[in-house]
Amino acid sequence: MSRGFASNYRLVLLAVGITGCFVGVGVRLVHLHVIDREELMAGIEKARRQIVVEHARRGDILDRNGSILATSRSMIVLGVDPQVLRPEDQAKWPELAQMIGMPLGELRRIFETKTRPVRAKAATGSSEDAQARFAIHTPSTEGKEAPAVEDETEVEDRLEANGEQPIRWAKLSDEVTETTYAKIQALGIKGVYGNRVYRRAYPHKTLAAHVVGFVNKAGTPAAGIERYADFYLRGRDGWREGERDGKGREVAQFRTRDVPASDGYSVILTLDSTVQHIVDNELARIADTFKPEKATIIVSDPRTGEILALGNYPNYDLNAYNTIPRHRQHVMRNLAVTDMYEPGSTFKIVAAAAALNERLVTAGSLFDCSLDVVDYRGRARRMPRDDHPFREPISVHDIIKFSSNRGAAQLAMRLGDEKFYAYARAFGFGQRTEFPVGGEHGPETPGMMASPAKWDGLTITRMPMGHSVAATPMQMHMAMGVIASGGVLLRPQVIREIRDASGEVVYRYGRVEKHRVVSEEVAKTVGKMLMGVVAPDGPAKEIAIPNYQVAGKTGTTQKIIDGRYSTRHHVASFVGFFPASRPQVAISVIVDNADAHAPNGVAYGRTVAAPSFKRIGEQLIQYLDIKPVYEAGGSNIVMGGVHR
Amino acid sequence: MKLSSNHGFVNQLLVYTLVMIGFSGSIGLGTVWMRHQISVTANSNKQLDARIAMIERHLAETITAAESERDTQVLLRRNAEWNLGLVAPSHAQIVRLPEDPVMRLAAKRNAGLFGDTAPASASVYLPLARR
Repeated sequence: MSRGFASNYRLVLLAVGITGCFVGVGVRLVHLHVIDREELMAGIEKARRQIVVEHARRGDILDRNGSILATSRSMIVLGVDPQVLRPEDQAKWPELAQMIGMPLGELRRIFETKTRPVRAKAATGSSEDAQARFAIHTPSTEGKEAPAVEDETEVEDRLEANGEQPIRWAKLSDEVTETTYAKIQALGIKGVYGNRVYRRAYPHKTLAAHVVGFVNKAGTPAAGIERYADFYLRGRDGWREGERDGKGREVAQFRTRDVPASDGYSVILTLDSTVQHIVDNELARIADTFKPEKATIIVSDPRTGEILALGNYPNYDLNAYNTIPRHRQHVMRNLAVTDMYEPGSTFKIVAAAAALNERLVTAGSLFDCSLDVVDYRGRARRMPRDDHPFREPISVHDIIKFSSNRGAAQLAMRLGDEKFYAYARAFGFGQRTEFPVGGEHGPETPGMMASPAKWDGLTITRMPMGHSVAATPMQMHMAMGVIASGGVLLRPQVIREIRDASGEVVYRYGRVEKHRVVSEEVAKTVGKMLMGVVAPDGPAKEIAIPNYQVAGKTGTTQKIIDGRYSTRHHVASFVGFFPASRPQVAISVIVDNADAHAPNGVAYGRTVAAPSFKRIGEQLIQYLDIKPVYEAGGSNIVMGGVHR
Repeated sequence: MKLSSNHGFVNQLLVYTLVMIGFSGSIGLGTVWMRHQISVTANSNKQLDARIAMIERHLAETITAAESERDTQVLLRRNAEWNLGLVAPSHAQIVRLPEDPVMRLAAKRNAGLFGDTAPASASVYLPLARR
């Protein structure tokens, strides 16, 4: 019998060999997985695990028609690692310098500065900016060539021994676009690379700057809607947990957790870019013509309280907020909400509307406005001066129409201190308008209006004409809105909708009535009185718009300079709305200290502010297709030729 | 021939061992192949994600650039640069009509069609009889 291959000896040897191999593998596995496990796992975890944060895209801010007022776009922060630059790439440096708009000399200096003093790092930290700064300030190493191939660790060690530290990243530019970056990458300069960041862009630059606000370069919302609606806009960052390979690249199949980023919501404003542009143009015109200290124009829809445009002079470019020097940073203030002024004659609507609402007078009630002194609560009160003396008694209608200070004072006296004060508060003076951006978040209430307990004997005669009271342009605008809206004080709205990243409406803001101030009938009556201001025999007849019922009130207030009313510094204003019987737009124009270039050296509301109201109104008629109100029949529009 | 029971057992053990090694190897290879495919798919997805992100970034940049060009100041500048001569209609150019514009335009278009501007008259041509 043949014993064949499977002899006892050989079989045993093979079995022992195989068993030995298995035992060997088993021992090694036990060693790796049990005995050295902790140590090995710690090393692996450290070397391979990574958490990548995925930044959410900040939502857009759009106007009511979908025009983008603020958006996020990816920008590249471009830098260089001077240690790995290759001599053969030097020929490409001029092209790179041109692409990023940097002088070639400066680029060359950054590229050739390879070290910085170690102590400088300790003193100022190791931020990117600091690196770039040190790179510039370090003595030039021009002429020295970087070793083409050299172990990086050796370089670091050697340089640190010399008291210098190698620069591994020096910033070249922080505003490189994707397109430019693609071209830079195509150049193929080794050591030049960038990091992507989302940066805020404001395509319309100065348009509605005080409303939109801005996000600073650190990503912190600093002003305007950007700050107010940050909760909706910012989104939520996502993150990914996984492993990376030996070259630091993510190993996609070993992702263990993946939390996607949620992009921010878009905020749709009530602003209309075209209306805003009309307002900005008008502000520029006012600035050119009158050289005022400041000016504000507000346009709103009095039926809903929606702000269609809000502009201030001076203005600023949202993309260049960081270039504004410290002494000029006041241009960022939203004057319409932060600054206050004495409203002057525009405030007379309060006394008239209140007296009518209390049924103390009618539009035809007559008052003797020739009196110098009037008895009030047992004391003689000196009446304020009227610009145009009235010899004959005049009606309440004419008190408003011709802006009689004495008439307004007598109306307030009929009401009494407390009632007049209560109505002024009801009109929104001395109260927050609740306009969400610009400065009403502080502890102080905007404007100034003392309670009757603090009034002196003359306050009841001065406050009705808009003295002894201070209001913000927004407060005055919303007070006029009470008349335009039929007697209701509305909250000014600047946000219309919130939409998610897919465009679905998440929240819609609507008309918010704060309270009723006067009856609808009284509001209509006061509206008719205000129409008299621009009537053919009214004091501001020049601003009448043919075929349209314009209601408004001029205001000219002396500014208080060094504690006294100045005769050379005025605030000119015109606040109104149209068409009076079916209001569609309310416009406020307030121009501060334009006397130097005003006709006759005095900035009257009629000559400085009112013409702007008319020009804006005429453009809005076309743009918003505001139709005139006729007593009977419809109204239509056709284009005619140019009138010559 | 009579085989020893030991030899039979060892032979069977060897065969089974080889089969098992072969089977395990197949499973191992299958696992490696599967993991490779997972890796390829994951990398492919990652690249697609990166590409989508890149396209979105370019889209955002293009939208921003387009919006900047739509700015009214820019449009006005272009209007001047390219001598387009476009102007907004002034308020004086607009004529407000209290009546229906269709009727007005129709009346304007048809004016004179029936001689409605001249006094009512009729012309009659009468053939003269030849003698």
